[in-house]
Amino acid sequence: MSADCEKIGDCEDARIQRLYEYLDGALTHEDLEEVRSHLEECTECAHEYDLECIIRSVVRRSCTEKAPDALKVNIMARISQIRVEAGH
Amino acid sequence: METHKTAQAPSEHDDPEVDVTAESDAARRQRFERDALEYVDQLYSAAMRMTRNPQDAEDLVQEAYTKAYSSFHQYRPGTNLKAWLYRILTNTYINLYRKRQRQPQQAATDTVEDWQMAKAAQHTSTGLRSAETEALDHLPDSDVKDALQAIPEEFRLAVYFADVEGFAYKEIAEILDIPIGTVMSRLHRGRKLLRGLLTDYARERGIKVEPKTPKTPKAAPKKGGTKTTTSKNAESDAGATGGTEEQEAGR
Repeated sequence: MSADCEKIGDCEDARIQRLYEYLDGALTHEDLEEVRSHLEECTECAHEYDLECIIRSVVRRSCTEKAPDALKVNIMARISQIRVEAGH
Repeated sequence: METHKTAQAPSEHDDPEVDVTAESDAARRQRFERDALEYVDQLYSAAMRMTRNPQDAEDLVQEAYTKAYSSFHQYRPGTNLKAWLYRILTNTYINLYRKRQRQPQQAATDTVEDWQMAKAAQHTSTGLRSAETEALDHLPDSDVKDALQAIPEEFRLAVYFADVEGFAYKEIAEILDIPIGTVMSRLHRGRKLLRGLLTDYARERGIKVEPKTPKTPKAAPKKGGTKTTTSKNAESDAGATGGTEEQEAGR
């Protein structure tokens, strides 16, 4: 950690929180610029950032599933059934 | 890598001009099929994270869609249909499904073991080497799913909604019906736990992990050094107790 890291958070936890918010698009423009410029200078924080990016992409990749083909059909069939029962 | 934006563009079909009150049943059904069913894969993926098995996930999604259809006239077109559907899915799961499962749910937030948090903290403070970054990138899907499944449900859903679905904090707050501060706190803790587990899996997969570069470099001989993770763990465990507790805001 460099002394500059304090700019984005005064402890490890605060810094990681800042990076989360940065990645989540939850910072104001000003704060965002501050983090962005810090990441350009600090390899350690940049590494943390990279790691978070990788984790997110890995989680996205692994958790994207396709519903069984029959599911849509079943849903619409069930909805039609409800409409019939309701007397439409 | 660029920051990805989280705001959800409304579905291109989800036309705000629709006059819901004047719509015929047939037209509503058609609109539902076109606009809402578009998200079936995404809802199914989320349901898999909730129920853990394909049959239950299918049932849950079907139930949620049925409920969604019954109240589709209350949905105001053009106002984030995806988040609306996720909210119904989550409620359906909580109200109906989880009760039926009768599993002693991992009572989440308050009982995350200290060691789990300590372990997670250890990873954030270690400064991972790029070999490990690489290893994380190549983890098999099954490991990633297992890791996500292993973290407490409240955290898991928040992380899933944010990191997979890209929902903003405010949207997650609405879907889960909790304050934004709680969303942030769950995300923070959930991500830390997830990261700890994923890093462990990467290590278990036999990835050689370089030891952390000491802040004050010691003249340790590099050659022939078998990496002893035990001593490292002991050191980090001792250093990581405390300081990882966060209050869940607004609870």
